[in-house]
Amino acid sequence: MTASGIYVYGIVGRSHPLSANAAGVGEPPAPVRLLPADDLAVVVSAAHPGLRARRRDLMAHQGLLMTLAEAGPVLPMRFGMVAPDEATVLAGVAAHHSEHVAVLERLDSRVEMNIKITPVQDNLAALIREDPVVRRIREETRRYPSYEANVRLGEAVASGLRRRAAAAAARLPAELAGTGGTVDDMRPGPDVEGCVLNMSFLMPRREEGRFRGVAERFAADHMDRLELRVTGPLPCYSFVAPEPVPARA
Amino acid sequence: MSAEHRSPFPRNGHPLSTYSEEVVRVPRAGTLYDVLELILDRGMVIDIFVRVSLVGIEILKIDARIVVASVDTYLRFAEACNRLDLENDSTSRTVPELFGGSMTKSVGKAGAKKAAHSVGDKVKQAVGVGGDGDEDEDEQEEERPRRSKPARSRSAGSERTRRHRDED
Repeated sequence: MTASGIYVYGIVGRSHPLSANAAGVGEPPAPVRLLPADDLAVVVSAAHPGLRARRRDLMAHQGLLMTLAEAGPVLPMRFGMVAPDEATVLAGVAAHHSEHVAVLERLDSRVEMNIKITPVQDNLAALIREDPVVRRIREETRRYPSYEANVRLGEAVASGLRRRAAAAAARLPAELAGTGGTVDDMRPGPDVEGCVLNMSFLMPRREEGRFRGVAERFAADHMDRLELRVTGPLPCYSFVAPEPVPARA
Repeated sequence: MSAEHRSPFPRNGHPLSTYSEEVVRVPRAGTLYDVLELILDRGMVIDIFVRVSLVGIEILKIDARIVVASVDTYLRFAEACNRLDLENDSTSRTVPELFGGSMTKSVGKAGAKKAAHSVGDKVKQAVGVGGDGDEDEDEQEEERPRRSKPARSRSAGSERTRRHRDED
């Protein structure tokens, strides 16, 4: 198969180590190499024709960046960035060279942790007791049962559970921000259907344990309302902007 | 018809493996699907680069994301809701039985859980079944193990995956 371009994984410092058997996207996985760009290096591989967003390729992208991030700061690219040739890669990186250097400095020894919170469905009794709307619709449904009434009731239950979870989840950022230096920055992730909170946190790698501790305690405190998933440490996808995104508590 | 009859795998057969983490609600280790939106929508973009085709990614995303807002889900919620007898003395028994008080490993909870697949379920389903239409995914049936996450309850995950596989 002939290469039809250059796949770009991320940007690292010039002396960043790269494992000799680093594998990239494609089948068979394309060998990964560093393309020097002044005091930076661009992590690239060949991009084969027909390359698209498959699970295998997403995992290759993610896996390579995770490995790289363990050895030093990495500016992760969004999945799927391809340039036609090396000259274009170098030109693209050179155009914002000093910003890249600044971001790499900011991300040094830092990781992204992501928290997603979803409602739980195992406390209907409390919902009915505490949510007047659900309680009213439930009474109506009992008096005049019908298919439509049941749909309406179920809909009210679903949004009630969501409201309860969202209200509790809204307290998490402040709790994490109040842990004294654990979190440097936070940024909401893209909306994920079903999640009442999707938030990424930038923090020193060594703080992962403390961060998880806070998250676990929070999850335990609100287990009747929400389920919490922590993912990380991740490459700092959400913190590649040159200017720090203001923390929102 | 009660909730437990709907569940093809009543969970009381696997109370510990299935419930230990859910009951305690320890934050679970994320999967690829927990960061899919970050990999796809965050990260750096350089404007003179082009992007590979994301054809098929919508299916991947939809698989990974929750589908709570369905009439079927609403009806199951309503049924569970109508079965609750809040006023009756038996409340203290039936409520935990139905919806799994924190210490109750109940079938009813499984039913309610099932009524609205959590993101996690869908995630596991997508990871385990590879329901994204790709023909080349079989070799990655199991999610790549995360570093330093020995506590992850894989049994729970695989049990769920099985359940979904049979369902679908």
